[in-house]
Amino acid sequence: MSSLYFDTAATTPLDKKVSDIMAEIQNSIFGNPSSIHQFGQKSRTLIEKSRRKIATSFNCKPNEIIFTSGGTESNNLVLKGILKPGDHLITSSYEHPAVINAAKQLENNHIEVSYVKPDLNGVVSPDTIQSEIKPNTKLISIMYVNNEIGSTNPIEDIICIAKKCSIKFHSDAVQVVGKQNLDLNALGADFLSIAAHKYYGPKGIGMLFLKSGNSIESIINGGGQEQSVRPGTENVAGIVGMALATEIATDNVALNSKKIIKLENLFLDLLNKTEIQYKINGQSRIPGIINMTFENMLGQTLVMKLDMMGIAVSFGSACASGALKPSKALLDIGLSEHDALRTIRISIGKFHQEDDIKTLVQSLESILNQKTNVNHENNYVS
Amino acid sequence: MSPKETVLVAMSGGVDSSVALIKIIESGYNPIGVTMKLWGYNEVGGSDDNSCCGINEINGAKLVCDQLGVPHYTIDFQNVFKETVIDDFANEYLNGRTPNPCVRCNSYVKWDAFIKQADELGAQYIATGHYATIGSFNNQSVIKKGVDPIKDQSYVLWGIPKDSISRTIFPLGDLTKKQVREIARKHNLETAETPESMEICFVADNNYNRFLNEYIPDKMESIGPGEIIDEENTVVGEHSGYTNYTVGQRKGIGLSYPDPRYVKAIDAETNTITISTKNKLYKNECFISNINWLIKEPGLPINAYAQIRYNSNPVLAKISIESGQAKAIFDKPQLAVTPGQSIVFYNEKNPEILIGGGIIELK
Repeated sequence: MSSLYFDTAATTPLDKKVSDIMAEIQNSIFGNPSSIHQFGQKSRTLIEKSRRKIATSFNCKPNEIIFTSGGTESNNLVLKGILKPGDHLITSSYEHPAVINAAKQLENNHIEVSYVKPDLNGVVSPDTIQSEIKPNTKLISIMYVNNEIGSTNPIEDIICIAKKCSIKFHSDAVQVVGKQNLDLNALGADFLSIAAHKYYGPKGIGMLFLKSGNSIESIINGGGQEQSVRPGTENVAGIVGMALATEIATDNVALNSKKIIKLENLFLDLLNKTEIQYKINGQSRIPGIINMTFENMLGQTLVMKLDMMGIAVSFGSACASGALKPSKALLDIGLSEHDALRTIRISIGKFHQEDDIKTLVQSLESILNQKTNVNHENNYVS
Repeated sequence: MSPKETVLVAMSGGVDSSVALIKIIESGYNPIGVTMKLWGYNEVGGSDDNSCCGINEINGAKLVCDQLGVPHYTIDFQNVFKETVIDDFANEYLNGRTPNPCVRCNSYVKWDAFIKQADELGAQYIATGHYATIGSFNNQSVIKKGVDPIKDQSYVLWGIPKDSISRTIFPLGDLTKKQVREIARKHNLETAETPESMEICFVADNNYNRFLNEYIPDKMESIGPGEIIDEENTVVGEHSGYTNYTVGQRKGIGLSYPDPRYVKAIDAETNTITISTKNKLYKNECFISNINWLIKEPGLPINAYAQIRYNSNPVLAKISIESGQAKAIFDKPQLAVTPGQSIVFYNEKNPEILIGGGIIELK
């Protein structure tokens, strides 16, 4: 059985070079970076070199990088570290649960939250954001690219609005790196969340970009690591791995996105030659994330059937238990529940080859063209 | 068997369904393990790590499937479970009745939504870890009792669609619980020592009152204390709200008599419970609603063994129609015939064969 992975928006395999350098560090470097002795110094040097490397890749200052465990932690640090009772937050209704659930918790602490809906193309309109601004609006948090649909939000325009009103701006940007250039100096966001495992780096490491001049109150206490915003002994191998993954991703962004767009076009060309009925959801899509509705089959069934053929795609976004539910993001962009339940996400990565795409289409064809006597209308509960 | 027939195995994360999977593999089928996510604590409140549908149980099922080289998926059935099982459970209590949610879960979730899932995935059969067997009777597929008399679960299966029996496999029906544990231990299964679940899965702490208060707070708030009356309609005390009681209950009435008093009847409309001595709790008959036959529908009247609760012994009864309503007349008077519970019929000549059932009604 083949084993093909088309779920790179969930996570990516580790780049071999990243894996090698991490193994080397884990086998030889163990000092606590905060220790005075040479063991500690070695670790500290590795971290600070990595920080500089990442700063170069993203065009920001090294001290604007706070290492965290990943996107979820970065998002929580910003929302909970900035907002106080009486403040108002504007976010979107289709954010990752790390933002949505943090916002819900803040609501219990007397923080006002407006959840702006994306339009039918899957994009949050700057005008909608503008119309939600109140005198007590303290923070706007809008994801850069939606993880399920792949739609890219007009972050620059939203930042402009935020700046005019002296409101801080944060973006969950975990789906961007490696697919599109990220120039943090030019972008002008105050805060940005990044996770290494979305671009062939290790899991459990990420960063919060904290633009100079901003400060946030830590939600955890400890030693003074990471400017006291995220205390705790640093994950040295993870940080070094993330730095290399970041460098590889940003250095090759043009090449990889060109390759991925080509594969995406091949996929759609081949699909159009079959009888398969489908539609693509969302516009302004970032390369490699394709959210598609197949009229003939429930998304969860299709995911399972493909999985049993050795092909991994996803339905909804991953949750800890793996339970399958219609996606709220899809309902928010106007899909009917009927269609949302028949939608899967295929995400293509830099490692894919044309043959992989051909196998994917053949597998879809063999599953979706099977005629069954099943009355699909009654096969799910709405 | 070529190509191998596919079986969807319902995996709860407990020992029974894990061993059911082993038996399915040993029988040469191509299994797919599926855990049905039926409810979440955010919905039903409470917390207990040792019941199904929690993350521990889902992961337990996943580890067993991984160990046995079987694909495993978690499928969300929360909507259908809420609509057909949990809401009904709450409503029945509000109506002063004592529901049996396991029966409805089997009828509406496992032998409806789950079997449709099998259709979706192209699976010919479904298998569960119920202690019951599938046999043949008059050239029809029928459900029979499991061989372990203590564990037999045929009672909760009466409501499933008749035509789904031929697509059902009960791999544990010929085993005792002890044997099942032994098989699990022999295979060193993750789930070998999972505790026996006796309670209703979504009320794992067995505290129905806590559940009802959290699930339907508004409706529960309007139910205050009410009168306890005896059979002569004399008020003899006050109760804390009729939903706290079930027919046949002795403990918790809070009255002192030389011989114990039991809840005989619950009247939701007047928020009244009637108590009596034990001998007044016996009934010779009851009415039946929602009858489902698991054999070719028999002409009534017929004689059958009738079982009125999960742990009671079946007794001979005559099932007939009286002024348009089905009725059971028992050979021997039955204790605490409880509206909302199931009355389950077994064949008069072959009492191990489950032939159907219905819901107990008093009028």
